[in-house]
Amino acid sequence: MDNILRSRQLSKHFFQKKALEKVDINIEKGKIYGILGPNGGGKSTLLKLAAGLLKPSSGEIWIDEKKPGVYTKSIVSYLPESNYFYKWMRIRDALAFFKDFYRDFDIEKARENLVFMKLDEMEKISSLSKGMLGRLKLTLALSRNAHLFLLDEPLNGIDPVSREKIIASILNAFNKKSTIVICSHLIYYIEKLLDYIFFLSEGQIILQGNAEELRNKKTMSIDQLYQEVFQS
Amino acid sequence: MMSLLKYEIYRRWKWLVIRYAALITLGVIFYNRTVVAPMQYEIAAASMGKFILVSIVVFVIIIVEGINMLKEDLFEQSGYLTFTIPRSGKSILFSKISLLFLQLTFWTIICFQFGKMFFSKLPLKEISQITSQIDFPFFPSILFIMTAFFNFVLMVHFSITLTKTLLYNKKYSGIISVGIFFLLAYLIEKFYYGPFASQIQHVYIEINNTSDMSMLSAGYTSVFMNVILSVIFFSATAYLLENKINI
Repeated sequence: MDNILRSRQLSKHFFQKKALEKVDINIEKGKIYGILGPNGGGKSTLLKLAAGLLKPSSGEIWIDEKKPGVYTKSIVSYLPESNYFYKWMRIRDALAFFKDFYRDFDIEKARENLVFMKLDEMEKISSLSKGMLGRLKLTLALSRNAHLFLLDEPLNGIDPVSREKIIASILNAFNKKSTIVICSHLIYYIEKLLDYIFFLSEGQIILQGNAEELRNKKTMSIDQLYQEVFQS
Repeated sequence: MMSLLKYEIYRRWKWLVIRYAALITLGVIFYNRTVVAPMQYEIAAASMGKFILVSIVVFVIIIVEGINMLKEDLFEQSGYLTFTIPRSGKSILFSKISLLFLQLTFWTIICFQFGKMFFSKLPLKEISQITSQIDFPFFPSILFIMTAFFNFVLMVHFSITLTKTLLYNKKYSGIISVGIFFLLAYLIEKFYYGPFASQIQHVYIEINNTSDMSMLSAGYTSVFMNVILSVIFFSATAYLLENKINI
């Protein structure tokens, strides 16, 4: 199978702290991956390295066999955890921004998603609640026909009703040409989406495997497995 | 590139409008004082002085904003938006510098026009006597000042970028980058402009050549030296933004 993302001995250190330590991963095209682990485990760092916002301390990472750069940014749709919009923006400005910079951005799809997410184009982004902001970020990220979606904690701060909407949107955006990587510690909600999982703790992969196989082998859900692994 | 420039303008259009509207409005107010009090040269000079003060304040704001344009994206979360779009570091930096250039050009045009209007209200005879005594290459001097400020902004951009690139994991990256800025300023003064300035001095003393031509050529050479430095700092900053960024 073709890999859309792979890393070899990928490490990232912040001062003395090892956020990632010699991580080897292969992410194949056409699947949904979960990178699961507690806060501070290195999940966001891994996504930021793939998005080109961080550079590795050592080791390498490739997206579609290229190092993160202008090309990879054109095929990667990255959803950061934080509110990254410019302060002056209304929702319609954010749509226009994405349309101007991403050739694969489907503005009609975005408008449909906005309706689905119950968001008004005229609203100022600075006045949105945390849940609405999360829905907006996801709407924009998933309205691209990107090869790789990197979703960093898409459910954080989102109420249970909105979580269901978000999961429906993720499923809707997924097709066999795209790959989705979701980082989260809210396993219960995303478990049903995942084809393959990585458990990441203290910068290292401590467990990985096909989600279905792991469920069968351990005779428990991924959520229960997560509890077992990280409580021990 | 135009899209990037468009969003740089969008981000701060209100302040841009306020800034230039204030400069023009105050210019008109001060100029009107000279119109209602013709031949009262003290009033004309005072009004002109106030306009110069206002224009300096606006100029400082433009320069500070020119620095902040990159600083915001490097140190605030909006950087996640700016630095994940598929554009090169060169394009991103160029859009910011282009806006600075446009602002300085606009500022120069406004100040130049008001300058001409104020001068027309001063005693023509005395003014022409003063100007005839000053051997001052006006155009290269303006160019030199403009390029010097570009250099300054690009040097600051370079130093700021260091904190989020090569110095990212250093404990005192902020202080170190400030130190690097001053070190660069010192080195440029000592080894780049210094020898050139002493060469010019030498020519004046030894040959006693103070013709317009030599002044002009010295002025344009200084501008050229500034442009070279600007290109170096621009390329270095763009390279760091493209290849070494950690935000």
